[in-house]
Amino acid sequence: MVKRKSLILLCLVFLLAFGLTLNASATRVPEFTIVTTTEGYDPIRYEAAFLIQDAWAALGIEVNVQPLEFSTLIDRFYNEQDFDIAIVGWSGRVDRLDPQHFLGTLHSGQVDLGGNNPGGYENEEYDRLFDMQAREFDPDKRREYVLEMQKIGMEEQPLSILFYRDEVLAYNVNTFAGYVPMAGEGLYTEWLPFDVYPVGDSRTLTIGTSQEPDNINPLDSTTVWGWKFMRLYYDKLVRLSPDIEPLPWAAESVEAYDDRTIEVVIRDDMLFHDGEPVTVEDVKFSYDYMIEQDFAYFRPFYEPLEEVIIIDDQTLHFVLKEPTSFFITVTLSQIPIIPKHLWEDIAEADQLAPEDIPTIGSGPMKFDRFDRGEYKRLVKFEDYFKADEIDIDAIEYIIYADAEGTYTGMVTGEADMTAWRLEPAQITLAEQEDHLEVVSVPDFGYYHMTYNLRLPALDDPDFRRAIAHAIPHETFIDVLLDGRGERGTSIIAPVNTFWHNPDVPIFEYDLDTARYLLEQAGYWIDDDGRLNMPQD
Amino acid sequence: MGKKEFIIRRLLQMIITFLIILTGLFFVFRLTLPDPTAALVMEGLSADAQAMVRARFGLDRPLWQQYFIYLGNFFQGEFGMSFHYRSAIAPIVWEKLLNTLVLMFPAIIISYSIGPLLGVILSWRRGTRVEFGGIVGGLFLRSAPVFWTGMIFIMVFGIWLGILPTSGMRTLPYEAAHFWDKIFTLDYLWHLILPAFTIAMYYVGLPMLIMRNTMLEVMGEDFIELCQAKGLSERTIMYKHAARNALLPVVTQAAITVGLAVGGQVVVEVVFSWPGLGREIIQSVRTSDFPMAQACFMLMAGMVMVMNFLADLLYGYLDPRVVYQKGGK
Repeated sequence: MVKRKSLILLCLVFLLAFGLTLNASATRVPEFTIVTTTEGYDPIRYEAAFLIQDAWAALGIEVNVQPLEFSTLIDRFYNEQDFDIAIVGWSGRVDRLDPQHFLGTLHSGQVDLGGNNPGGYENEEYDRLFDMQAREFDPDKRREYVLEMQKIGMEEQPLSILFYRDEVLAYNVNTFAGYVPMAGEGLYTEWLPFDVYPVGDSRTLTIGTSQEPDNINPLDSTTVWGWKFMRLYYDKLVRLSPDIEPLPWAAESVEAYDDRTIEVVIRDDMLFHDGEPVTVEDVKFSYDYMIEQDFAYFRPFYEPLEEVIIIDDQTLHFVLKEPTSFFITVTLSQIPIIPKHLWEDIAEADQLAPEDIPTIGSGPMKFDRFDRGEYKRLVKFEDYFKADEIDIDAIEYIIYADAEGTYTGMVTGEADMTAWRLEPAQITLAEQEDHLEVVSVPDFGYYHMTYNLRLPALDDPDFRRAIAHAIPHETFIDVLLDGRGERGTSIIAPVNTFWHNPDVPIFEYDLDTARYLLEQAGYWIDDDGRLNMPQD
Repeated sequence: MGKKEFIIRRLLQMIITFLIILTGLFFVFRLTLPDPTAALVMEGLSADAQAMVRARFGLDRPLWQQYFIYLGNFFQGEFGMSFHYRSAIAPIVWEKLLNTLVLMFPAIIISYSIGPLLGVILSWRRGTRVEFGGIVGGLFLRSAPVFWTGMIFIMVFGIWLGILPTSGMRTLPYEAAHFWDKIFTLDYLWHLILPAFTIAMYYVGLPMLIMRNTMLEVMGEDFIELCQAKGLSERTIMYKHAARNALLPVVTQAAITVGLAVGGQVVVEVVFSWPGLGREIIQSVRTSDFPMAQACFMLMAGMVMVMNFLADLLYGYLDPRVVYQKGGK
């Protein structure tokens, strides 16, 4: 009995050894796992993974799809880099209209764990151009570098940009008008108080939302929804126009004094909501305080800043460590002005209890209340320097539990507009409602499929370019997005017209081209129909 | 063994059980949920900045140290700081808990006062169409998912008829000096109608069917026959003699239901945007807010244990035959 067992074992060992030697000459392209979101979180990214699986199976590439709960997905992708292929996305936040952030996602300085380049793409020429564009103040010159970088990056396909998804929102046509949608921001922009005017009886604009700020401490909030709320009652030196042009706002003028100094002259007619004037002291303090408190969320914005110098009671100099092209468009347009007299005695801003957080700003709206999980309200600041351009009395927010609740609020007329996109199923329903107007706003955030370039086959640009022809972009747009979106081309979206490169290579969906390119690169199909690595 | 010893023994058991639950909660969340700072990458935070946040939450310490800090906090009656809200948990959790309870208790009271009554009627009308209809209806309500009944209610009363509010506890905004100020209003009752009835409809089937079953058992007993022989009215026999004896299992069920009520009907809270503990639980799991999730589940566990304990004590009152003794009956 024992003998027979060992004989069988011996045979198995031989077989295994034989198999291994065979394998040495023929190596299959390994099986890949695509990690994506769950169907519940985002049905579109979930379905996209399966469409890609099908298309690649036709090329002889074995793919598994593994849907993950969203924060697990993000954790695996960014913090552990434990993935073969991942479908994730970047949201289009207004400060990302400047190309700096998205270009940085392919920079070699970001390849470490927790960095923004988990795929591990490295290209010296790309890095060199990145540093040059970061220092170039002249937008036209900078643009040349930015276009070239997109070309390099997209030609090598370290990731495939799948699609840009429109934000689809709705508002009630019987209550307010004048909404101006903004790319990536939808309807809930920081221009809202200036744009909308009542056409019904109410002068209070009601926003329905299921997104709640994490907190309303300008030195502790780390979510978009915290800032989308606070930016309405804190003012900034610069605002980005709906066409993404930096407009001096709390500043009379913003000019490059030399290549490391920016001169800002502030307005002389600004007040905080408690009646105190806004001075150069407050502006300097706001920046110094963010740096002193080491507020992580704004760190990429204030990092280039060396010091702020008060020249006279209207003028400041922002001195930079090195020339930084995005300082005016991003830093000055994002960091809020906070009142020195309320904050200077607070030693540790992030330790404040919710009831002790000052909510005094100098923005167009005044903070009124925030009842967690229920309600928020801002009221018009009558002494604002552009108060006569504001036609509403207040903005209130009803916080619903989910998108379904928000939509019901829109249908019953409880809410006037939505802050966040409608669910696909709600879009058709909303279009049938007489009192609702549905708007599609293109986004410059993008959904992408990133390859782990440390893995065999995926480390080969020829392989990546070939399989790029087997990504069914048209199906994504026509079927999954119902036409409300655009096919992915570059990390800088077409809607960001100034910085987008329209000449990046486009990989059309064509399995024959994909097969041809794979063959050209030495990949071959074995008898089982599986793709094998090139032999050398 | 007397009642006193029984109580002491049960209390000791409860403390041990609770410690086990505390430990379980701590490790379950840390082992299964992703790093709470993971989502910050999407906000563009660098790895250094993330590490800073992690250090602030105490997540950079070894797990056993975190565990003892957590236990220490708990015994000082603190739930700690919420990672997501960056503020003390206790006030948030207590408020949400009260919000949940003022939704759940009315619903439970409605269902547990109507349910047993219906159960008595069904058993009395055994074999008739009333009984058949009652059982089918009870099972239907019991198996209809609450989100579905909730959505139907919203559609009919909120959208088509437009007569009842479909979300929240109060018409917003409202001023309330304190909690009772918030709920002793018509406006609150108005908002309570749809969610409370959604839950009550779901709950009513169980006490009704339990009551019917035990009633049938009780009615087979000799003393009922005696009552009939004494010439008591049907009504008196039914409610005074039979029903009282059949109430015991319903009480147990009620106690368990009340205990679980702390967690709320998560789904109902979401459907009706009720600012309760159930919504908080979802949010805390979604954002990996460990301290918040632990606090919510601790409250739930604690409440279930306390209610079971009370049910045991109540038994003795309802049924004098119950003796608190090992092996006793």
